[in-house]
Amino acid sequence: MLELLDSNTPVLIQGISGRMGRLHTGLMRQYGTNIVAGVSMRGQDGDVDGIPVYPSCSAAQQHRPFASVVMVPPLRVMQAVEDAIDAGIRLIVTVAEGIPVHDALRIRQMTADAGVSWIGPSTPGLCIPGKMKLGFLPDVSIAPGPLGVMSKSGTLSYEVCYRLSQAGVGQSAWVGVGGDPVKGTRFSDMAPELTALSATRALLLIGEVGGDEEEEFAHSLQARGSDIPVYALIAGKQAKEGVSMGHAGALVMGGKGSIVSKHEALKKAGVEVHQTMHELVAAIAGRLGTGPTAHT
Amino acid sequence: MLLIESDGKRLLQAHGIPVPASSLVIGQEDVAKLAAAHPSTPKIVKAQVPVGGRGKAGGVLRAESSAEAAAAATAMLGRHIKGHTVRACLIEEPIAGSEHYLALLVDAGSGGIRLLYSDAGGIDIEQAATTSGHMFDRLVRPDRNAFDAAISELEQTLDPTSASAIAACARQLGALFFDKELLLAEINPLFLRPNGQIVAGDAKIVIDLNAIERHDDLKSMLSGHRDWYPDAWRKIQEQFDFIELDAQGTIGLVTTGAGLSMMLLDELTEKGARPFNFCDVRTGQMRGDPSRLLAIFRWLKEAPNVRMVLINIFAGITDLAEFARTLVLALSQMPGWNPPIVARLIGNNEELAMEILRTQAPQIRFETDLEKAISLSTSMAQEANHA
Repeated sequence: MLELLDSNTPVLIQGISGRMGRLHTGLMRQYGTNIVAGVSMRGQDGDVDGIPVYPSCSAAQQHRPFASVVMVPPLRVMQAVEDAIDAGIRLIVTVAEGIPVHDALRIRQMTADAGVSWIGPSTPGLCIPGKMKLGFLPDVSIAPGPLGVMSKSGTLSYEVCYRLSQAGVGQSAWVGVGGDPVKGTRFSDMAPELTALSATRALLLIGEVGGDEEEEFAHSLQARGSDIPVYALIAGKQAKEGVSMGHAGALVMGGKGSIVSKHEALKKAGVEVHQTMHELVAAIAGRLGTGPTAHT
Repeated sequence: MLLIESDGKRLLQAHGIPVPASSLVIGQEDVAKLAAAHPSTPKIVKAQVPVGGRGKAGGVLRAESSAEAAAAATAMLGRHIKGHTVRACLIEEPIAGSEHYLALLVDAGSGGIRLLYSDAGGIDIEQAATTSGHMFDRLVRPDRNAFDAAISELEQTLDPTSASAIAACARQLGALFFDKELLLAEINPLFLRPNGQIVAGDAKIVIDLNAIERHDDLKSMLSGHRDWYPDAWRKIQEQFDFIELDAQGTIGLVTTGAGLSMMLLDELTEKGARPFNFCDVRTGQMRGDPSRLLAIFRWLKEAPNVRMVLINIFAGITDLAEFARTLVLALSQMPGWNPPIVARLIGNNEELAMEILRTQAPQIRFETDLEKAISLSTSMAQEANHA
């Protein structure tokens, strides 16, 4: 799906007339995203900054949107996704944080049954640097380059990608898979897609304690093997047990979801795991940033 | 988030699953009452903290008399188990019977629901399940019909003498799981008494705070025990995350973003610092209103050992100038509280933010480099400690 995205991909914004929707529609357009239509669940029509607004995705079908960015409050996301699926949209990005997990289960079932790609929830979205972005990854951290990035956390990836781009390493694609436990696209789903991009020469996984997504990725990597280096940084060594650390998915109970389990599984699969942002950035920049192997 | 066992058991009971007779010990008055009651009967004393592996951490003890139980409870109250203070003990009558295991959980990997059952329950369930291979494990679509079919399947594998009791319990647990939109409902051990009745020996119930607005009863359960769930209650009240990690911590954190905040905690701790809290203030939602910052400042002011404050905001979208003005405003409403502050602000409009802080809050050390802000904070906290 990532290889299909460029500055011509027609994109629809659900919740375009809200404060968030309006702001980020402007920022996405400024970056180069081709936004063709908006949907307002208040049944509003007319336009937002020149973009036609419709009461539903189906009503906007004449614009043939391929992707939708859902910018509605968490308890309304499920309904918005249903609307997008009915209109034949192929890629849905839901940025909202705080979607009930049982809603996420239903959304996942609906999108899987319809063969639709779902990125989220609780994600800043994704970006193909230099071409387009869906969501609100900050421009200051985005740069075209050789690194395929996937992250549970928004802010930690902003910080790491900012430092990396300062060091001369940009991204082939950057996808926030989101910090919730039940989601549309997991690390192990995203890794082959990132690897398949012709610009990708290394992978970076930015994980968090809780769940078993990092372990699942490690097992699939071990089975599949990798021709390119894979780096990882996992946050949450100091997480408090039994409490969600900001993200609903960052919940450690007993030994499950602990940083030790994730480090062990990743290292076993040949992933270069770093303990600090500084070490990680130095290692990646050392390999990809400068010198004869630099990507231009 | 994981509920305290006694709250979990209240939910089980409300859905028709029997639990042992019990009493809750919170203060010394309760301990005295306990010591006076039924002196010769044995009791189980259980620390009420939301963590797994309580037994192995010394949080579950068997007492042969009420006096022994009172002594055990006194020793447990106020102890810390895996970062949680023991604020209550559950005193239960021991149950005789075989130990089983029953659980329902959201399987995040597949997006389904898993029903698990074993007749080898107890503290080593995972090992027992792998070695004996005797674990009923069905992954189903996340709807009640698929779940009901899995229970019927389970029922057919069970010993006829206990099949209907265990299947009935699984149905009740399923109703609870779907009604309350739970992430995990686990009973281990699930006792099967010689008379064929079942009793839940423990309750591990994980609720979804994202769905709390749809469940007034769960909300009032948390509200009734605010001191048991300080982190969750703060989140419900304030709409952002602030989690106390180390009551004796010396560095107070004002940060945004869960992942970066966790990483910052890890790196500070690695350098020998003692952060007091985790924080995800969500600057994007503040919009110039100082109330979130004021709430954090009050909590940090109350913390016994916080010596300095580290602010870290990576602003992809948020206007840092607006944040700086809000910070100045919040500090002006905290007279008499003047800890050293390091503010690492980077991103949108950082030059103007720096100028605002330089002129209006010159006591704040401004930094754009996080590595430097970490080193500076660590040494400032240590200096203040030695002073």
